[in-house]
This record gives sequence, C-alpha cells and structure tokens, in this order.
Amino acid sequence: MTPVEEDEQDLTRKQRREAARSERKAAEESAAAGAARRRRMTQLGGAVAVVIVAIIVILIASGGGSNGTKVVKAGSHEATEKAKVVEATLNGINQSGNVLGNPTAPVTLQYFGDLECPICREFTLGALPKIIQKWVRAGKLKVEYRSLETATREPETFRTQQTAALAAGKQNKMWYFVELFYHEQGEEDSGYVTESYIQGLAKQVPGLNLTKWQEDRSDPALASQLQSDTQEANNRGFNGTPSFLIGKTGGAMKKLEYSSLSEPTSFDEAIEKLLG
Amino acid sequence: MSARTLRITLLVLTVIGVGLATYLTVIHYAGIKPLCGRSGGTCEKVQTSQYSKLVGVPVALIGLLGYIGILGTLLVPEDERSRFATAALTLGGFGFSAYLTYREVFSLKEICEYCVSSAILLTILMCLSLWRFLRGGDIPAVPSAGAGEDGLTPDGQASAGGQSAPLGTAS
Repeated sequence: MTPVEEDEQDLTRKQRREAARSERKAAEESAAAGAARRRRMTQLGGAVAVVIVAIIVILIASGGGSNGTKVVKAGSHEATEKAKVVEATLNGINQSGNVLGNPTAPVTLQYFGDLECPICREFTLGALPKIIQKWVRAGKLKVEYRSLETATREPETFRTQQTAALAAGKQNKMWYFVELFYHEQGEEDSGYVTESYIQGLAKQVPGLNLTKWQEDRSDPALASQLQSDTQEANNRGFNGTPSFLIGKTGGAMKKLEYSSLSEPTSFDEAIEKLLG
Repeated sequence: MSARTLRITLLVLTVIGVGLATYLTVIHYAGIKPLCGRSGGTCEKVQTSQYSKLVGVPVALIGLLGYIGILGTLLVPEDERSRFATAALTLGGFGFSAYLTYREVFSLKEICEYCVSSAILLTILMCLSLWRFLRGGDIPAVPSAGAGEDGLTPDGQASAGGQSAPLGTAS
C-alpha cells in the first residue's frame, strides 16, 4: 500500500468514526427527547386525572346533577321528622297572619324572604330558632314574614308559593307553612315548586283546614299584600334576601345589618339595644 | 411564537384574570351589586346563588387565588417545573370554570358575563400553557454539550441554551 493509499484509508476510517459518533449522538438526543416527551405526557395525564377527580367530588358535594332535587314527600318518615322540628320551634307561640309572637311585643323584626331562597333557609334553620327561643318566647320580640322575590325565577311561581303561605296565615298558621317550606326546600330553580309540592306542605301544617286554605289562596287581599311587601323592599333598597328591618313596635324601622345568618349575635345586639 | 412572547401573552391574560377575580371578590365581601352588561341583574343572581360559595369560600376568592398562583408560576425563572406548574394550575382553573359554567347553564339557567369572561380566559391560558409545557424550552440553534433538543439537561433542568433567563431578557 502506497503512502497516499494509507492516508486515504486513514481519512475514510476517521470519517466513518465521526459519522458513527454523529449517529450515536443523534440517536441519544432523539431518545432523550422522546423520554422527555413521554415524561411530560405522563405528568399532564396525572394532572388531568387529579382535575377530573376534583370536579367529580365538587359536583357530588354541591348537589349532583341539575335535577338533584331532594323534595321531601308528604307523609314520608323524613317529612314527619322535619314537621317535629318545626312543631318544637313554634309550639305554644302566638301566630296572627304573618306575625309570629306576642302582638304587643316591644320590638318588631321584619324578615323579607323568598321561600325558594337557600340563604333564607340558612337563616331560618340557623339563627332564627335561637332568636325565637330567646326573644319571641319571652314576649319581647315579634317577627313578621314579608315577601321579596329573589331566588324564584318565575314570578307566577313566586306569587303562588307566597300566597299559599299567606293563605295559611288566614288560619294563623303561616309560620308553620314558611318553616316547613324552608326545611323541605329543594334545589334552587329546579322547578320543584309544583302544585302537588305546595299541597303536600299544606297537609303537613298541623290543624290546617285544607278546604278553607284552598279557597283563601285566591283572595285578592293576599296578592295586594305581596305587592305591598315588594314596594316596601324597593323603598328600602333591598335587592337580596334575607333582608331585615328592626325597630320598636309601632316606631320607625331601620335596616338590620348582620354578620352571620347561622348565629344570632347581630340580632341579639340590635334587640338588646332597642330594649334599652 | 417565541418563548418570551408566549410568556408575556400568558402574563397579560393572567393579569386580566386577576383584575376580574379581584373585582368579583371585592363586590362579594362589600355586598355591592355587580355591574352587569344586561338589565335584569342576572350576574347578581349568579353571584348570590348557592353555587357562589364552595365549602363556605366564595368562588370569586378561589378564582383570585388560582390566578395569583398562575401569575406566580409565570414570574419565577422559567424551567421545566415552572412550566408544568403553570400548565397544571390552568388545567385546574379550566376544570373549575367548566363546573361553574355547567352550574350557570343547567342549574341556575342564568349567565354571568364575568364568569363567562373568566372561563374564556382560562381556556386560552390552558391551551397556551399546555402547548408551552409540551414543546419544552426554546430549541437552541447549537445544542450545548449534555443538553437535549429541548434545551434541558438529562435531569430536567434548563441549560444555558434553554430559556431560564428572567422575563425581559432576550432568550
């Protein structure tokens, strides 16, 4: 082999080595890139799985699907249990129309609510029983229930449910109807307030004359009372429920600002102040 | 789209989201009526509905914390982990927005303009941040020794050829 041939062979060997090194490097880079892509996809897959599980948990915790109403059926064991709670809250307290408590109580609390409003339910099942126990039973406070449409989307449904409560008030049993409605409230705006639901509630009101109640529901005076409540709420600038007015009976009423609906602290303070 | 442009786009969208969520959180706690684009106050009904809170925490506040978290991942020096954190948080935000939109449409049958705006923002943020995470760092023109094509060393850290430079410096 001539020196020139040896040089050419060396060069070819060198080129082959370089080519092999480049190929190896490219293969390594390609493998590393592939591994990085796989790792990222795995990480993202994990994140997607966590998000899906979290959403399912939230959906279940917040009341399931859109038709997840839990309307209590009249006559069921659950209805009986809830009626017992309502009876224990209201038993022995004077009722007159929309008023709960001694008519000559020195302090009046006006409660503006919508029977489908879940925040009103929070108040009715939270702070209100404590207020009733402490102040209404002692004859120092009377509570007036007044209507303001907020959570109920359909004005016709609102009118029907609120006048059904007022009609029970004509037999001095409105507060039973109101309390039962809140205790057995279904999912907001799911269409659970039907005629059979209202009839079912009325059947649970102890001692309610259903025939008279049915007749009274169409009394135009009840519709006027609803309008009057709405007008008063508008005059006061209320745009949410529950809203409250409080004052000495027969005197000027002032808006009550509350810090909690489950605890009666704000109400207690306002009542104590008015009682001097 | 360069990594820097992508990062700036994500930052701008997140800052808009922070503003939106801050407004909703403030009006929630102050008890102010939100300004709605339409009459009838449908956004107020959504804001005061039973779904406006999750385990007692206003969803507006949860949204605000989420956006602040996303902002945090965008402000730290960029690497594989920060890109993943952004992608994971926007994915979570998108999922939560999807849940809230479901509640608006099927449970409340009302639409809140602010919630829809936030849902759109989070959808864009999620798409961009997933793309950003999956493509890795900028591909350097000449890969530095020991770095893969995504500008990462084998342990997943950004190399000098990657884009760990803070925002505002050319990458």
